[in-house]
Amino acid sequence: MSSTGPLRLVKPDREPTPDDAPAAAERTQLVRAAQRGDVPAFAALVDAYYARCLRFALHMLGSRADAEDAVQDTFVRVHRALPSYVEREAFEPWLFRILANRCRTAGLRERRRAAVLEFGEVPEHASDPRPDEAVAWREEIARALATLPAEQREAFLMRHVEDLSYEDMATATGAGISALKMRVKRACESLRRRLQEGDDARRA
Amino acid sequence: MHDERDETDETIERIAAALRPLPEVAPSRKALVLVAVAADRARARGAGESGPRAWRLAVAGTAAAAVVAAAALWLGGRRSPAAADRSVPAVALDSGSSLARAGGARLAGRAGDALAPQVVELVFRAPEAHRVSVVGDFNGWNAGADAMTRDSASGLWSGTITVRPGRHVYAFVIDDSVWARDPRTPEAADADFGRPGSVLLVGHP
Repeated sequence: MSSTGPLRLVKPDREPTPDDAPAAAERTQLVRAAQRGDVPAFAALVDAYYARCLRFALHMLGSRADAEDAVQDTFVRVHRALPSYVEREAFEPWLFRILANRCRTAGLRERRRAAVLEFGEVPEHASDPRPDEAVAWREEIARALATLPAEQREAFLMRHVEDLSYEDMATATGAGISALKMRVKRACESLRRRLQEGDDARRA
Repeated sequence: MHDERDETDETIERIAAALRPLPEVAPSRKALVLVAVAADRARARGAGESGPRAWRLAVAGTAAAAVVAAAALWLGGRRSPAAADRSVPAVALDSGSSLARAGGARLAGRAGDALAPQVVELVFRAPEAHRVSVVGDFNGWNAGADAMTRDSASGLWSGTITVRPGRHVYAFVIDDSVWARDPRTPEAADADFGRPGSVLLVGHP
């Protein structure tokens, strides 16, 4: 592990960038080491990706407890599957494929998303001059997101929040690129419509 | 990063911006992941090594029989090696199941292995179910960890878990949506997550 150098860890107080994840060379080293059974290397991968995975799971499932369970299960399965991971497949889409599967399973199991939404864990922007409105806006978005079919929600989050390419999304979901583009398009249309309806209702 | 342009507008950008902040993560959560991974590795190793000395418990009889079986397993760890090799009285099984034909609960562990992880077989009747899995303190209440296999003739679902000797609480998840405790074993008064669970006693703690 000493050869891998320090990790750049995601900071929770700002928006992520592609640089938040370990750089490609560093990630390759970590994955190879983890495949050899290097526990610190696997711990470094957990450290680097936990927050991103949790963000995705939270938006997919709407419940902190369910999301944390899904993320934990994801990493257990990642560890289990690492020996069969081949480098020709990018690590992040591979990770998100396992995560998305766990979220789908958890979503089917709980079926309570519409009734239970938790927002307290989403950090607020310190610079936001109207925190109440910001919280209300995020809650409104979360409600709108919750009404989307799971496939559309998943595609929207991967594309617009996780910044995955359509190619990587295809790897992560097993769906074709055309289908994914359609899901994203429909998700955007639904979100726009629902949020517009909310605006109209407030003005009325 | 986006490799192809999407039709985005200010509303979508605002939505994405609101969803992008990362949640805060307590260090303990990451530590729990590593604990779960370590437990998973231990289970995998235990399962690989425990075949010859597996303890087999088929829980499909009456509550009373199950209590007897649980007590027998509990006491099993205290038996002499010779006694521990004998089969314990079988739990009453639904007729027609392969497990019933196999003879029910059988204790094959030795006293010297009292602290080693043991394999326990669980059975649950759910003829209409498409999927059944075991959840419990031993697998982090993870419905994806221990799937059961259906016997098409009897409608019984069976599966094995590898657990350390002691007291465990478990339940079944049916079709990823229904949580059910095992009606044939004692109900746990301290079930995790506020959901009903059943008690499984294995060997000597």
